[in-house]
Amino acid sequence: MCAALCSPAEREAFKRDEETFMARFCLTEEEKGLIRKRDFKGLIEHGMNIYAMLKIGSTTGNSLYRMGAQMRGESYEEFLATRNMKDAV
Amino acid sequence: MARIVGGIGLSHVPSVGPVVDRGRQTAPAWKPLFDAYIPVRSWLEKLNPDVAIVVYNDHVAEFTFDKYPTFALGAADRYPIADEGFGTRPLPEVPGDAEFSIHLCEELIAAEFDLTVCQELGVEHGFLVPMNLCFPHTASGWPVRSVPLQVNVIQHPLPTARRCYRLGQALRKAVSSYKEDLKVVVLGTGGMSHQLQGKRFGFMNEKFDQWFLDQLEGNPEALAELSHHKIMEEAGAEAVELIMWLTMRGALSPKAKRVHRHYYAPMTTGMGLITFEE
Repeated sequence: MCAALCSPAEREAFKRDEETFMARFCLTEEEKGLIRKRDFKGLIEHGMNIYAMLKIGSTTGNSLYRMGAQMRGESYEEFLATRNMKDAV
Repeated sequence: MARIVGGIGLSHVPSVGPVVDRGRQTAPAWKPLFDAYIPVRSWLEKLNPDVAIVVYNDHVAEFTFDKYPTFALGAADRYPIADEGFGTRPLPEVPGDAEFSIHLCEELIAAEFDLTVCQELGVEHGFLVPMNLCFPHTASGWPVRSVPLQVNVIQHPLPTARRCYRLGQALRKAVSSYKEDLKVVVLGTGGMSHQLQGKRFGFMNEKFDQWFLDQLEGNPEALAELSHHKIMEEAGAEAVELIMWLTMRGALSPKAKRVHRHYYAPMTTGMGLITFEE
């Protein structure tokens, strides 16, 4: 599914109707649930590759650093405060 | 005969792409990185290479997990810009050198490195960010031809550090047996310390990174002994990309002279830079 998101038309299709989009791929109900909840921590724990997940992030407006903050159990602002130069985004 | 004239180890952080595309290289958070490349670009202009062999990894843009090569070499006269999920960057196609690539494929496969040969290959940030930093493009295109050499560093089982180092040594032989009088630079990209998944997201280790740079210069054999687990524990899961720097180092002679060295770690990746000249 994530490989398909390397196309503007497919990213639009996901945004238009996420359920129809996910139904095209061999996802389990658990996997669909994690994607619906934008549970990036759960997806990684489920075995997802980070670079594949970045495409879901890009399509749903969740940058790498926002996904990272969630995986750390922090808010985005809390995460940025831990960085050496937080403007390098 | 073709010969390797220099090597560069450098990181390939994706956020550099939009900085280049929007002309934000002098923004305070980015200036330290881009300033480090000013002397490198002058040095490269003097070396005046014909071809850059870029050892990099794709990030699930062109290579997906249904079929995943351990090593893949581009063998085309042009490489289009791939969409890796964020849209296609406004960059010109990258010129290749199919004849030189095919020679490298023949020699490397004869040396028992069983590459996947790619006559069509889009390139993304793993390849493009190092090109942006070292060989800025203009309206008329890129100043150098390229050969992309893709390494699997993202889906286990991965090639060992030693295997990557030996690939570099085989690459050196392959380059030097090419009949045309080409000057070649080798870029080893990725790393340095970073982890992008799980609770340890954002982990960096400057001490490890500086040690790696020291060893790369004087004792690369020691780095070839590193296990994936050791690199991942010490420097973060995604730091295993550093094994690609060993392909660059293996392609240079042991006595190659270090010219530049820089380190900057603003956000989540230790961004290293080291250059060597023959």
